[in-house]
Amino acid sequence: MIRYLARCAAQFAVALIGIVTVAFFLMRAIPGDPALYMLGDFATAEALATLRARLGLDLPVWQQYGVFLLRAAQGDMGVSVVTGQSALAEILAAVPPSATLAVAGMAIAICFGVPLGIIAAVRQGSAVDLAVMLLALGGISFPVFWLGLVAILTLSHALGLFPALGATSEPGFWKGLHHLALPSLVLGLSVAAYIARLTRSAMLEILGQDFIRVARAMGVPERRIVWHLAFRNALIPVLAVIGVTFAWSLGNAILVEAVFSRPGLGSTILKAILSRDYQLVQAGVLVLAAAVVLLNTALDLIYGAIDPRLRRT
Amino acid sequence: MAETMMAPSFGRRAWMGGAAALVFGAGTGVQAMAQGARTLRVRFGSDISVLDPARIFQIENQSIAGHVYSGLVQYDQRTNEIVPDLSTGHEVSADGTVWTFRLRPNVTWHKNYGSFTSDDVKFSFERVLDPATGSLYRGQLAGLKEIQTPDPLSVRLVLEAPNSGFLHKLCAFNQGWIVSRRAVTELGERYTMNPIGTGPFMFDRWTTGNEVRLVANTAYFGGAPALTDIVFRVVRDETAAAIALENRELDVFFALQSPDVIERLRRATGVTLLDRPANNTANLVLNTTAGPLADVRVRRAMIHALNRKALIDGFFRGTKFEATSVLTSTFQEFSDDGVPRYPYDPDRARALLREAGVSNFRFEITTVGLNPFDRFPVPLANDLQQVGIQATVRVLERGAYVQARSSGNLQSCITAVVGPPDPDSPLVTLYHTRSHPPGLNTSRYNRADALLAEAARAPDLAGRKAAYNRLLRQTMEDVPVIPLYADRLFIAHGPNVQGFVQNSLFTVNASPVSLRGA
Repeated sequence: MIRYLARCAAQFAVALIGIVTVAFFLMRAIPGDPALYMLGDFATAEALATLRARLGLDLPVWQQYGVFLLRAAQGDMGVSVVTGQSALAEILAAVPPSATLAVAGMAIAICFGVPLGIIAAVRQGSAVDLAVMLLALGGISFPVFWLGLVAILTLSHALGLFPALGATSEPGFWKGLHHLALPSLVLGLSVAAYIARLTRSAMLEILGQDFIRVARAMGVPERRIVWHLAFRNALIPVLAVIGVTFAWSLGNAILVEAVFSRPGLGSTILKAILSRDYQLVQAGVLVLAAAVVLLNTALDLIYGAIDPRLRRT
Repeated sequence: MAETMMAPSFGRRAWMGGAAALVFGAGTGVQAMAQGARTLRVRFGSDISVLDPARIFQIENQSIAGHVYSGLVQYDQRTNEIVPDLSTGHEVSADGTVWTFRLRPNVTWHKNYGSFTSDDVKFSFERVLDPATGSLYRGQLAGLKEIQTPDPLSVRLVLEAPNSGFLHKLCAFNQGWIVSRRAVTELGERYTMNPIGTGPFMFDRWTTGNEVRLVANTAYFGGAPALTDIVFRVVRDETAAAIALENRELDVFFALQSPDVIERLRRATGVTLLDRPANNTANLVLNTTAGPLADVRVRRAMIHALNRKALIDGFFRGTKFEATSVLTSTFQEFSDDGVPRYPYDPDRARALLREAGVSNFRFEITTVGLNPFDRFPVPLANDLQQVGIQATVRVLERGAYVQARSSGNLQSCITAVVGPPDPDSPLVTLYHTRSHPPGLNTSRYNRADALLAEAARAPDLAGRKAAYNRLLRQTMEDVPVIPLYADRLFIAHGPNVQGFVQNSLFTVNASPVSLRGA
């Protein structure tokens, strides 16, 4: 176990260095210049040179990269070139609302996606199966920002059930939950569609195997076959896709955050990219990458718990 | 602020409130909603980024700063007349080079940063002028030679040459906002997002990507505001913001641009829609050094070929005004007497092109990928194609666009100069040689410097008006820049808002607002 954890830690470090390195050079490869962004309408050659020197942008890129790595190793991700605030602090402040939205969305996705996938598989070819698959197709096909606008127009404006804004500064747990409901529902339903389709196909594959036929022949009750034999075996690919879709839903959260005017990592990183705020982008990529790598490591450990055969590999 | 939220007891309710604030992305707003709060909720289209007047840009930042800071003088929100702010009056020496301001006594800085004195004025302007500060507005104060402080309540500004438009540079906007020497020195880099001013509202907190909160400055020299606080909520999508306004989740909708949403709010019950002309125009800037564009007949042909009225009536559905020059009627110095007009006339355009011997002219409009700049050049390119110019549109993401434009190599680009009602703001920026790339004079026009200097030397408003009129006539004869439309500002507010005054600065200022029934 210790060797396994050590291997995970090493993979974690390599993945993080790789990702932030790619982000570092990609940001510098795209056209645009933070100094020009900040000077805007009043840029003069002299003002540009002064600001570029102040921001350290006059150094060769490899030198900038060296300075960045050295500082990052000490936990210093630098300060935002636009706001002058600690880049890491600004990013970490955006984590709780994003994490809340992603977790709430994932909970909704699992609550809807897994049972619907199982029902569709058990009743393969029936009207229920067809309805679930059509719904899933719709969920996958409609862009999440469109679903968001439709949800605002119907559930908020026409029916008045939820607020149009996805965050509030007013106090109260239930008030906060009320504002969170619509964005997490929209995010969750789009992810639920994927999970439902995958659960269905994984269940169908398992239900068609010999040991299920044997169990049925031996008179094992159908409920036990579905939940104890088939579902447990179908759980591995479903868990794998939940891990992948969690990372995907973090990306989709950018759109949901924009439509519902929620703060979060997505909007913060997007703003940083648009203003070429290199330090903020690097800190954001680091935090996001760490979250995804940690999640996948956690999922690896869960696979081992579910299927002992996987512990040996 | 977090300490206030946690203390003093950390019982179940406090835990729930704290958890809600952290989890739901609402910042630490528990303390904000005290009993009897008169909170105004204003929609912002983007998040804020810089609140230091030396480096400030973008209308959202300027809107926050407008509540926090004061200047020696300020623009009257309704008339754009220049009226006293931190000063009580001023005298100008006979030769027009020495400006002496008397300052208001007993003005204090926010958050116990002491009393406002002439030393703060000296510090503010010297800071903008210091190249090490990297201020965007250094050029605005370029003619300021010396700042003297004979006593704590008077300041003397010595200019290199007389400039009757100098008051514009001192108005409460950008470089005109006065900062506290002590606050800037003590806070260092942190000052960027922790502004200390003398204005009617104090900066309280910023929750990245979500909201900014200001609280009333009860010691404000102009009298305590009627509101207790203002919350500026970032709501990017205009439709969502319109629904939030109709649902009473917001009180004021700032930066309303979409014709669809404007129409929707015009019909909405309980919503008041305000509009007024802005200080800026949107322009097609032609590079006068690039091939056929060097010929004035080609440039005149292009302005005749563009159906600008159809653009305003069709694409913008009447939400913009026609522009006769890059100066709009909101400027005190504006006069378009004798300024050449170019009605839509494709036949005249074709004739001018023939006269210039131009055929198969490939022309590219470069624009920024932001609404509506990414779409309205398409009908313009179509108009140019109708007269035989092979026009195309290239849309670039903002960062790439700014870089491409600053290179000075573009054939043409779309540029709007948003700023105060100081004629130098659009005119120097678009026509002066000191604004050649990387500045915004991407037409590389070089015949305006003398006329701009003449306007600065003019002894009074009438003289300045005449000088700027000569400049407008000349630039519209030379057509290095085609003004496409004059911007029009729309703001909507809910039924409980009263006393709202819309300015022409493209900012929102809620200082005089009160809430009905609060």
